[in-house]
Amino acid sequence: MKNIILLLIFFYLLFIFQTSFLVHFPIRGWVFNLIFIVIILFNILEKPEKNNGILAAVILGFFWDIFSEKFIGYHILILVFLALLIKTILVRYVRIKIFQKS
Amino acid sequence: MRFNFLKNKFLLLIIAILVVLFLNSYREGFYQKKIKNFFYSLSLPLQENFWKAGINISDFFKTISNINNLKKENEELKLKNQELLSRVSELENLKNENESLRSALGLGLEKEFNLVMARAISKDISEDVIEINKGAKDGISKDLAVITSEKILVGKVSEVYDNFSKVMLISNKNSSFSAKISGKEVSGAVKGKGNFNFFLDLVSKEEEILPEETVISSVLGGTFPEGLLVGKIKEVKKSDIETFQQAEISPFLNINDLDKLFIIVDF
Repeated sequence: MKNIILLLIFFYLLFIFQTSFLVHFPIRGWVFNLIFIVIILFNILEKPEKNNGILAAVILGFFWDIFSEKFIGYHILILVFLALLIKTILVRYVRIKIFQKS
Repeated sequence: MRFNFLKNKFLLLIIAILVVLFLNSYREGFYQKKIKNFFYSLSLPLQENFWKAGINISDFFKTISNINNLKKENEELKLKNQELLSRVSELENLKNENESLRSALGLGLEKEFNLVMARAISKDISEDVIEINKGAKDGISKDLAVITSEKILVGKVSEVYDNFSKVMLISNKNSSFSAKISGKEVSGAVKGKGNFNFFLDLVSKEEEILPEETVISSVLGGTFPEGLLVGKIKEVKKSDIETFQQAEISPFLNINDLDKLFIIVDF
């Protein structure tokens, strides 16, 4: 429970940082998207059997929906799908020891 | 083990879908607006500080990277300033003449815009949409035009919450409005391309457009008042196959200028 609250606060601050600060630093018109990077790293680095990556996708998707024009749920579904895709690829096709240790 | 893992993931997915369906079906997004408004109110002080810090730091880095061009730019600006000063004196004369004609004909002065001041606090990650700190409680409604203090057209209000609003920038891919070339009777439509870029489309091939000409808003579409600054023509694209000609626009709109904004409530 403590971990979930910490994740919520961290991701909330991450979103404010992304939408209010990082947008001022475009590189050739494109802004660095921390959210995708966090989701990908989270799901790659954790043990495939654990579900924290999916939880992170739900929280980040929720905040993305809050700070965007889309309805709540749009980005939750996209990020959860992305997390599931990464996990499925890791479980079925990747055989590197680093991903199997916690 | 694998079965449980898959089962848990699908359970989470089903819960997520159910939450989405619930939030969207109940009272046409009423809860969505309430939830978003709550988070915007909570984030406002932090967002304002981050936005200001972002502007200051990016200005600082831009100054450092442009230091070599500053001298050249300064000389160009001095020349342009002299040119503009001479035009201002010409316009002053025309203004006096215009005023005396108006009073002679008994016409009222041009109606001014009725404005509400707002501040930008964040920008959407994936779209050209910004959030401002004024909403329905401040008399803001959908489709109102948003400009900067220099009369640069920013966009229109696309969504209104109690204390906040979303503004769809003119560079948004869904944005399209009528515009014309300043000082000419050449009109067309400005369409957004995303990432602060837009172009002029639907201009008749018989009309002549030249680089460096200024594009301003036109009252034809009914969304924006006439004469708001949009950008300068960068490159004209003419093709024998196409019915109309197009032109790339170098925008006046810049994210670092989106601090103080004005919403045109009435024009």
